[in-house]
Amino acid sequence: MSRRYGRLARAAFLALIALLYVFLIAPIVIVVVASLNAGRFLVFPPDGLSLQWYVKFMNSGPFVRSFLFSLRLAALTTVITTVIGTAAALYVVRHARRNNALRMLLVAPLQLPGIMTSLALLIFYYAIGLGGTSYLGLLIGHVVVCTPYAFLTVAAVLYNFDRSLEEAARSLGAGSVTAFRRITLPIIKGGVIAGAVFSFITSFDQFPISLLLSGVGTTTLPIQVFDYLRFSFDPTAAAVGTVNILITLGVVIMTERLVGLESLYLGGRQ
Amino acid sequence: MLMRARRSRRPWFLVVPAVALVVVFFVLPYANLLVMSFFMPGKAEPYDAIPTLGNYTSALGDSFQWWILWRTLKLGFLTTLFTLVVGYPLAYNLARAGSKVKGMLLVLLLSPLLVGVVVRSFGWMVLLADNGLINSIVKHWGLAPHGLKLMYNEFGVLVGTVHIYLPFMVLSLSGALENIPPDLELAARSLGASFTKAFWRIVFPLSLPGVFAGCLLVFVLAVSSYVIPVLLGGFKVITTPLLVVQTAVDVHNWPGAAAQAVILFATSLACIGLYFKLMNRAMRGLSA
Repeated sequence: MSRRYGRLARAAFLALIALLYVFLIAPIVIVVVASLNAGRFLVFPPDGLSLQWYVKFMNSGPFVRSFLFSLRLAALTTVITTVIGTAAALYVVRHARRNNALRMLLVAPLQLPGIMTSLALLIFYYAIGLGGTSYLGLLIGHVVVCTPYAFLTVAAVLYNFDRSLEEAARSLGAGSVTAFRRITLPIIKGGVIAGAVFSFITSFDQFPISLLLSGVGTTTLPIQVFDYLRFSFDPTAAAVGTVNILITLGVVIMTERLVGLESLYLGGRQ
Repeated sequence: MLMRARRSRRPWFLVVPAVALVVVFFVLPYANLLVMSFFMPGKAEPYDAIPTLGNYTSALGDSFQWWILWRTLKLGFLTTLFTLVVGYPLAYNLARAGSKVKGMLLVLLLSPLLVGVVVRSFGWMVLLADNGLINSIVKHWGLAPHGLKLMYNEFGVLVGTVHIYLPFMVLSLSGALENIPPDLELAARSLGASFTKAFWRIVFPLSLPGVFAGCLLVFVLAVSSYVIPVLLGGFKVITTPLLVVQTAVDVHNWPGAAAQAVILFATSLACIGLYFKLMNRAMRGLSA
């Protein structure tokens, strides 16, 4: 009797879990479905399939321009943050493990809301004469909020790094650069790649920083979509969103193949 | 000799770029924001460098702004509560899953995090709009002939914020739950405790550090969210971050916006302080 009750409770629990995952995934799946929908609104019963929103996306100058701009910006941001973040992680883990103040400073941009950081930067740029909305200012904003990700993921891997391996290489005559390139880098590669992935996605999807810092000619994709959605409802956004989702999915699958998703999870939790 | 001396020196140049970046483009801008909040709003320029307390007195004397701040905190609190209630079963399930299933669940859990907030809000708009999917189903089956008002109100904003911050809560909780050996629960069960009793007496108290961390994280994120209230609230649910941006960008009153931002920070810090106090008392009560 009690066993049957237990099994029933367990089934109910698993059903609840399944329902919650549906809640998590629903808006993303619905964007993909809406992008393939023939009508302007997704209704029940559905209107049928169509690729018209993708055609509209391809033919829309602003969307394509901002899409390419976002890709370039995210790529540049990723290169800069990966170098800066990896270097900082090497120093902090090896030479300043107990320096909590330093670590807190480096992850501080994650702790304060992006929209406030954005406002603070906008006003600061004006004060130092960088102008309100320049490409450089936008890039710096993205680098500031993405660097902590690169730092954290590399640091997470470095904590478990056995330094005697590098020392062995050095004692066998390798220079510090060779030892780093041949021993250290291959071992921390997973963390570096995971950090780069996080940086890329964070920059590509970045909203609050871009909202106040992007201007004419430096409009990122999320801002372009937001401007469309603010006052009207346009399914072209669904096509853009689907392309966005596919890019993210591609990047995540590539990471999974290269280093395994666990490293993203562990890196993000440090 | 020379080699050794050089090797023992700390390679501080590695950390200089990152520190310089954060100090110059993060710490200084926030310091500047704080200073700005004590300046006069300018006429031709965005501000005049004349010290004043006027921005604070006008912000604090405005009952409308108090009301907006109250709504922001209320929405933050409700978001935290709902993510905790919804996130706990998910985290428990995740922490007890086998490693193969866990990988898949993690992908499901993290993938919403990796899709931009604008795209996710759009997904909710498709579902919740007056002529959206849910309303079309409801009308089709005649459940509510006039449809339901699911968006452009606080309900829509809450659905969006709970959805967006749920993964953060689940990750905090599952981290704590994973550290509780399942044996403890099994021991309690084998000694005759029901599942419910074992849960409330063993598992839940031991998971409190995760509850504590998750709630803090979600509250801080939720009170400062911007996109969700704009897109799912449709400028009908004004919160303090919206007001700050409006004051800065539309009214072009930078000192006023800075003061409002400082007030929001101060209030959330006060809430966090209060929360720490309550939480400490709760933890002491458990250990006694």
